[in-house]
Amino acid sequence: MTEPFLQIQGIRKAYGPVVAVENVDLQVRRGEFLTFLGPSGSGKSTTLYILAGFEDPTAGNILLDGRSLLSIPSHKRNIGMVFQRYTLFPHLSVGENIAFPLKVRRLPKAEVDAKVKEMLRLVRLEGFEDRRPAQMSGGQQQRVALARALAYDPPLLLMDEPLSALDKKLREEIQYEIRRIHQQTEVTILYVTHDQEEALRLSDRIAVFSKGIIDQIGTGPELYSNPQTRFVAEFIGDSDFLPCKVLSASDGHATISLGDGRALDRIPLHGFASAGGKAALMLRPERLRLARISGENAGIAATVSDITFLGNNIHVSTTTDDGALVSVRLPFGHEAIAGLNRGDRVQLTFDAGSAHVFC
Amino acid sequence: MSSQIRASTASAPVRPARPSGLRWTLPALAFVMLFFVVPVAALLLRSITEPAFGLQNYVALLGSSTYLKIFVNTFLVSAVVTVISLTIGFPVAWALAIMPGRLASVIFAILLLSMWTNLLARTYAWMVLLQRTGLINKMLIGMGLIDQPLPLVNNLVGVTIGMTYIMLPFIILPLYGVIRKIDPAILQAAALCGATRWQSLVRVLLPLALPGMAAGALMVFVMSLGYFVTPALLGGTANMMLAELIAQFVQSLVNWGMGGAAALLLLVVTLALYAVQLRFAGDQRLGDR
Repeated sequence: MTEPFLQIQGIRKAYGPVVAVENVDLQVRRGEFLTFLGPSGSGKSTTLYILAGFEDPTAGNILLDGRSLLSIPSHKRNIGMVFQRYTLFPHLSVGENIAFPLKVRRLPKAEVDAKVKEMLRLVRLEGFEDRRPAQMSGGQQQRVALARALAYDPPLLLMDEPLSALDKKLREEIQYEIRRIHQQTEVTILYVTHDQEEALRLSDRIAVFSKGIIDQIGTGPELYSNPQTRFVAEFIGDSDFLPCKVLSASDGHATISLGDGRALDRIPLHGFASAGGKAALMLRPERLRLARISGENAGIAATVSDITFLGNNIHVSTTTDDGALVSVRLPFGHEAIAGLNRGDRVQLTFDAGSAHVFC
Repeated sequence: MSSQIRASTASAPVRPARPSGLRWTLPALAFVMLFFVVPVAALLLRSITEPAFGLQNYVALLGSSTYLKIFVNTFLVSAVVTVISLTIGFPVAWALAIMPGRLASVIFAILLLSMWTNLLARTYAWMVLLQRTGLINKMLIGMGLIDQPLPLVNNLVGVTIGMTYIMLPFIILPLYGVIRKIDPAILQAAALCGATRWQSLVRVLLPLALPGMAAGALMVFVMSLGYFVTPALLGGTANMMLAELIAQFVQSLVNWGMGGAAALLLLVVTLALYAVQLRFAGDQRLGDR
C-alpha cells in the first residue's frame, strides 16, 4: 500500500490547561478535498494553523510526503493558504499580489508574468491585473487570494472559512468555482468550515470536529446515513431525538422501547448500551412516513402542531404523546398531506435501518 | 471592504448637508489672527523694512558663510535626528503593536512620562550624562573601550543625541497607530507565500507603515528645524542652530530685521515640506482607493 500523502499523527494542542485539539489522527490522499467541519472552538482552525506552521502542536507529528513538517518554518513549507479575512496586500495591485510568492522565490520575470496570467485565467479575473484590492468585491478578493495561494503550485492548499464573509448567493457561486479549480489543478485541499451544506457540496470526505476531537471521518453520504455519534447526526442533516430505553443489544443493533411500551427491533446502535439504560432514538424528517390514525396504530402516535410549505417540500411538525417534537418532511403533493390539519392525530413509521440509537 | 461601504452609502438616501460649524470656530480664529498671524506678519514685515526697505537682510543672511554654516548645521542635525528616530522608533512601535496590552501600556506610560517631564530638566540630565566625567564616558573607560573621554557635549553629537531622545515619542506614536491597523493575517499570508521575515518586512510591513513613517518623520524634522533649548544647552556657542540665531538677533543684537528674515526662511522651508507631505499623502489616498 502506498503511503498517504498527508499524515496527521496524534496532534494535540493545549494552551495551558485548555486543550484546543486532542489526539487528531488523519490521513489524506493526494488530490483529495477534505473538509474540517465543526462549530467554532471545535479545534478545526487550530489544526489548520498547525499545518500552516503558525502554531506548534504540544504533541504529535505531521508528515507531508513522508517528511515531517514540524521543524520547517511557515515560509519554507510551500503550502498555499486562503484566509477567512481578506489578506491581499493592500499596497500592491492584483497582478503584483499574485506575483508576490513568485518574486520572493526570485523567479525570472517572464516566468512570473506568464504565471500571473495563467492564474488570473484560472480564477476568471483576466483584465483585473492592475486593480487594487480595495477596488474589488469581497468575492473577487478571495478569488485573487486563491490565485496567489496557487501561483507557486503548492502540493497542499489550506482554506480557513474563506467564504464566511460573503453573502449566501455569492458563496454558492464561489463554491462551484473552488470545485472546478480543485478538479482542474488536482491540488490537495484541506478546507475549514462550520457550514454543513458547504462541506457537503465541496468535499470528497468530511472530518467532523467536536470539542477538539474528530468525531467521525467519511464521505457526506456515509456521515448522513451512518452517523457514529449524536453530534454528527445533529450536525449533518436534520434530525430529531426521542428518549427511549435499550432492552437488549447485539451485533451493533439494539432492541428498544419507546414511552408507550412498544418495542422496536434491529435499530443501528452507537455507544455503549446497557440493558435497561436510557438512550436517544434519532429520526430523520425525510425518512419518516406519516399516516392518519385509522384503527390500529402501527407507529409512534403524534398530533400535528404545524404545517409549513417550503416550496418543493412540506414540513409537518408533530408532537408525540410523550411531548417530544418530531418533524416530518414530505414532497409537495404527497397523498398523506391532502386535507391534513393542525390538531389531527397521526402515526409516524420508519424503516429500522433509517433510525439510529445513541447511548 | 471600502467598496462595500461605498456601495452602501451610494444606495442610502442623500445625506443632509452638515450644518456649517464656522461660527463656532470664529472665537478661535480671531484669537489666532490677533495673537499669532498679526505678530508674525509684523515680524516678517520688519525683515524687509529694517533698517531700510529692501532685501538687504536676506542678502546678508544668505551671503555670509557663518550664517550659511548655521543653516547647514540645522538641516544636517534635523535630518540625522529624523533618520535615527525612525530607525530606533520603528522597532519600538512594532513591538508595542504586537506585545500584550498590559506591557504595552506600561511602556506607553514611560514614553509619556518622559514627554511630560520638563524639557530643561531632561536636557540638563543629558548634559550630566554626556560630559567628560559623565556616566557614559566613565562607563566606556571602565570597560576599557576608550582611553580618553569622548567629546559628547558642546558639539553637534550632543545635540543629535539629546534631540533624538526628545523626538522619539513623536515618531513612535503615529507609527504605532499605523502598525496597529495592519492585520497580522496579512503577514501570515506573506509567510506562507514564502517570504522570509526580512522579505515580509521590506515588501509588506514597511510599505504599509509608510504613511505613519512619513507623518512622523515630517513632524520630527520640522520640530527639529526650529528647536531651541536642546541645541542651546548641548551644542555650545560654536555650534549654533537656526532658532538660536533668531534668538540672538532679537535678544542680544536687537536686530529685528535679520531675525525676521531668518524666521521667514525657516517658515518657507517648513511650508514647502508640508506641501510635499500633503501631495504625498494625497497620492497615498488615491492609491488606496
